[in-house]
Amino acid sequence: MSTNTLKAPATKTRGLPTKRIIPLFLLKGERLAKGTNFCDFTDVGDPVSQGMVFDAQGAEEIAIVDITASSENRLIPSAVINSMITKCKLPIAAGGGIKTVDDARECFHAGADKIIINTFAVLTPQLVSDMAAEFGSQSVLVSLDVKRNEKGDYRAYVCSGTREVETPLLELIEMLVDRGAGELMVTSIDREGTLSGLDLELYELLRDRVSVPLIASGGAGSYDHLVNLFKTTDCDAVALGKMLFLRDYDIVRIKSYLLGRHVTVREA
Amino acid sequence: MKKIGIVNYSLGNVGSVASALSFYGQDIRLIDSASGLADVDAIVLAGVGNFKTAVDKINALKLREAIHEQVIEKKKPVLGVCLGMQLFADSSTEGGDIPGFGWIEGKVEQIEGEDLRLPHIGWNDIVPVGSELFDGMRGRTFYFMHSYHFRPVDPSVVIATTRYHDAELVSAVKKDNIVGVQFHPEKSQGDGLRFLRNFLESINRA
Repeated sequence: MSTNTLKAPATKTRGLPTKRIIPLFLLKGERLAKGTNFCDFTDVGDPVSQGMVFDAQGAEEIAIVDITASSENRLIPSAVINSMITKCKLPIAAGGGIKTVDDARECFHAGADKIIINTFAVLTPQLVSDMAAEFGSQSVLVSLDVKRNEKGDYRAYVCSGTREVETPLLELIEMLVDRGAGELMVTSIDREGTLSGLDLELYELLRDRVSVPLIASGGAGSYDHLVNLFKTTDCDAVALGKMLFLRDYDIVRIKSYLLGRHVTVREA
Repeated sequence: MKKIGIVNYSLGNVGSVASALSFYGQDIRLIDSASGLADVDAIVLAGVGNFKTAVDKINALKLREAIHEQVIEKKKPVLGVCLGMQLFADSSTEGGDIPGFGWIEGKVEQIEGEDLRLPHIGWNDIVPVGSELFDGMRGRTFYFMHSYHFRPVDPSVVIATTRYHDAELVSAVKKDNIVGVQFHPEKSQGDGLRFLRNFLESINRA
């Protein structure tokens, strides 16, 4: 124990941030889209009005990723980030096509609280170091898409899940955290959009090895999926897509259910 | 109506802070000059990012002296948010040993403790210490995102604390006309807006 830190009296609460419920917005053109296993997209609304809805329901944060930005060699539009920021009173993480420090700066200027980098973090890890030095680790969220191979090993995939990364997943994550990734969002490609439950094995494996906050993503489809995630893996947050957009769930009811199962979520 | 100037030195959340403060119809301006600072009744230092980068930016805009004069000599109310509050300190170890404004004695250092997950990101409770700035709230849960924290020497300036694992963080400070919060009221939905309203009311009353 360092003498630098004040010891809190034992009577206080556990002192852990509440578990975060993060709607994950996939931006395709000017609209939000939702698919299954990274394919077959359906339109699920306007980013700003959906943002206002989830803000009002008490989401902890919104993550928005422009899913065609990288392949079209452009950046997530500043105008979308900016209108969400002015209409919503919650943190917004934004990504899509960020491949330089200047790209990231443009997103921050538009009002993003964090930037999300995926493919370019893996292909050019120096980018993570540069961004952490410039903006601070707390604003650099690295998102990884993960799939299990035939041998049962987890591997990261880049370029919207199309290119396998050779470096073993844990090694890759350790390297990215060392370079200054302040938070990790790990999406199971196999589960994404299936509503079949989160890959608990994956998050159990990662949670013990990763020192930064961890966001689980892919497969959430019922209240109990979320209870199981938080009870068995101690992940810090969950990203929700289809469950919120295309099924009859909302954040108010999700939180009531979680509170009833003694998962510490914020009552908003 | 009192005019509030948000110093436009930082990268990020200046726009969010402006939009949250405008919610209550206050006259809000973004300021990047000494003359702009002289023209407002209260000042907001917002910002996330690296301490050294922020100090460099303020120096590049030649605003350091002007801000100091408005806050210390003219006694204008100032609200520091996140990095903005950390700038009140004597110095920070983020980016070297970088001097802050030195308005509140103390240092900014990396959070330390057992089994900590850093950065401290997420919604966490605050425990107020007798300040009316936290009146009228439901949960007193606010959004934090930081790895460094301000450790004031004089405990009487602390108006709220937050427990993170076994570390007790100073989440809000107040000394005369100077108020600072480590969390992001502009990102903290209802309670965040209420905090800003309480701050605006304290200014408008004066």
